[in-house]
Amino acid sequence: MNFDFDPADEIFRQEVRSFIRDALPADIRERNLRNYHANRADTRAWTAIVHRRGWSAPNWPVDKGGTGWSAMQQFIFDEENFAAGAPLLETGGLKMIGPVIYTFGTPEQHERFNLPFLRGEISWGQGFSEPGAGSDLAGLTTRAERQGDDYVINGHKIWTTNAHYANWLYLLVRTDPTQKQRGISLILVPADAPGVTIRPIIDIGEGHSLNEMFFDDVRVPVGNLVGEENKGWTYAKFLLDRERAFSAEVPRNKRNFALLKQIARHTRRAGRPLIEDAAFAARLAQLESDLDALTWMTLRALARQGDATWELPVGSILKVRGTELQQKIGEMHIEALGDRGAYVYPEPDFATGEHHWPPGPDYAPGLLADALYRRAVTIYGGSNEIQRTIIAKQYLGL
Amino acid sequence: MEFELNPEQVQLQDSVRRFVEKQYDFEARRRLVRGDSGQSGAGFAAAHWATFAELGWLAIGLPEEHGGFGGSAVEQAIILEEFGRGLVVEPFLPVAVLAAQVLAAIGAEGKVADLLADIGTGEARPVLAHGEVDAGGEIAFVETTATPTPTGWSLSGRKVLVVGAPFATHYLVSARTSGAPGDEAGISLFLVEPEDAGLERIDLRLSDSSRAAEIVLHDAELPADRLIGAEGGAFGAIAAAHAHATTLICAEAIGVMDRALWVTRDYLKTRQQFGQPIGNFQALQHRMADMVIELELSRAQVFGALASLNGTAIARDHAVSSAKVQIGRAAKFIGGNAIQLHGGIGITEEYVIGHYYKRLMMIDNAYGNVAYHLARMSKLAAAVA
Repeated sequence: MNFDFDPADEIFRQEVRSFIRDALPADIRERNLRNYHANRADTRAWTAIVHRRGWSAPNWPVDKGGTGWSAMQQFIFDEENFAAGAPLLETGGLKMIGPVIYTFGTPEQHERFNLPFLRGEISWGQGFSEPGAGSDLAGLTTRAERQGDDYVINGHKIWTTNAHYANWLYLLVRTDPTQKQRGISLILVPADAPGVTIRPIIDIGEGHSLNEMFFDDVRVPVGNLVGEENKGWTYAKFLLDRERAFSAEVPRNKRNFALLKQIARHTRRAGRPLIEDAAFAARLAQLESDLDALTWMTLRALARQGDATWELPVGSILKVRGTELQQKIGEMHIEALGDRGAYVYPEPDFATGEHHWPPGPDYAPGLLADALYRRAVTIYGGSNEIQRTIIAKQYLGL
Repeated sequence: MEFELNPEQVQLQDSVRRFVEKQYDFEARRRLVRGDSGQSGAGFAAAHWATFAELGWLAIGLPEEHGGFGGSAVEQAIILEEFGRGLVVEPFLPVAVLAAQVLAAIGAEGKVADLLADIGTGEARPVLAHGEVDAGGEIAFVETTATPTPTGWSLSGRKVLVVGAPFATHYLVSARTSGAPGDEAGISLFLVEPEDAGLERIDLRLSDSSRAAEIVLHDAELPADRLIGAEGGAFGAIAAAHAHATTLICAEAIGVMDRALWVTRDYLKTRQQFGQPIGNFQALQHRMADMVIELELSRAQVFGALASLNGTAIARDHAVSSAKVQIGRAAKFIGGNAIQLHGGIGITEEYVIGHYYKRLMMIDNAYGNVAYHLARMSKLAAAVA
């Protein structure tokens, strides 16, 4: 055992920090430090900037256009980006479909999709969930039927983040109705293909990140299939396991916790700083202890990244507690705002920057929208109840 | 950063685990704590202590110049985690961690150095007599006084929960030579021997059947050379030793919780109700999953606390408190649910699970409970802000 940080990692952190300080445009930074949903234009612009430094795929190997960084370096990169207010690089492309394409797809697909993605030219939308297939994802019914050199797709997908910005979609579709998991394939569909309809879903924070998608006799060439037919489930699962060390979203939790402390120092209760209130301070300390535990567990998971012999369901553990912490911090943000925690601060107009905000401290706008959206995090990516069942069945053998 | 054990550490873990499996099955432990094991006394087996010395466990955390092996708290954590699995009652932590760390931190020279070396060989078992009834975990809250006399010092006060005291060869007694309770300055440390006049020892059996004592000092007269370290300057050493002891009792808790969890899991697979193993029921499965989560986050926090021990006092105490908050919560959650999932058998004296719970309750309360450490985290955060 040795708990010292590698000095090379500290040097790397400084390098990332100074790059972001020089390269991140002030307006993007300011928008993203507020916790409204990131606008895709910002994400693309930042991706292009990061790409010029060669860093737009922190988790990909060098020969695929990535950085070849260690898990620890990727984590440091995430931490620095979050802390500085940089938009998150697009998760779906980086951590899901991109690696599936270079691992199971063809070299042509890699050229066609992954390289433009790294330049910020392609945005992906993920079509996994359906109205009738949430936790039981393998029960999905969207069909892709082979007709000559095409697949014809019919069905209904839901909860697609940023589909309204996407130019390409990756879908899990049923290609064999007689099988469950083994009848599912992964297929790529242009977002503007005839028969694709994308409708917004407004969340309780009044934000628009989610969408539903309808597929009505949508025709794509068989070349858009990724890997083999009926292997889509295996591909999706392979990827979820790879990213387990990142499941607690420590960088996001760290930034939001720091923000909470800052609010508690500035907000007053009965004329005194809220942070001096013993009951509030004790709850703040409890959150910090939770965050410390998740951080050390994440560091341990990073050190064992890729070790298939590790039986611990570390992804499930980190997911459950990391998402619960996001919600607790969000709720405390609102609580700390006091009476003004009830005010609606609508999202500014992206193009003009114009906003109509009620009175309140500078940090208030965005907090309510984010705290409300955080209710989704314990549901998506395998609900926390599903994670608990995984721990009980796969690890404890119950 | 490396979280896995190196080959020497794996060997150490194996050897402690073998000791626990051979010497500390539940029935043997029951005999030991009742005092009818044929061993030296209730709650202490001289043969066990000799084994600890022989295998080098008592010396492992001592600096090499004092007869130790230059090991670190990590090795002691490995030992204590294994001890936790068997609910070992001998005062390893009070002697080889808490007292040894105080002596090492206070600056070991002359007789202090000899005493340290004697811990390693098993010849000496000093314990720190520091806690007081109104302190509530606050390290600087010392009301016991030491006043100068023509020949030395006169000590007056009462020390509570001095774990291992009935088997101790020396007491390291903290007493105030100046200042008021709560002041960090003005706390001094004295070497007291059981035969010293003016000393009253009230022996106690604790909830987990380990042994402790209250030590009352009735104007106990000590020669001048019993003051160890600088007069009024013992706080730093006591605080550093507490950080070690707190970290290592958290490591012990990992072993206790891990055992309690897996014993419960085995029970869920065998106990039948409604025509099936009760482990089939999702309400129970999810409770068990939450116990796994609490355990693993506790383990992570022990890493954090171990990593902090060589840092600055503020960073160290913040990390140690953060860990103790997690372990305190997890101890009660896992211990309580381990009993709950067993049903009635869980509260019987003759079954093992309730004994794990008792140890976990004690660990939560030891060296400051959750509320104390939450408050300390706030205070330390304010100090650096």
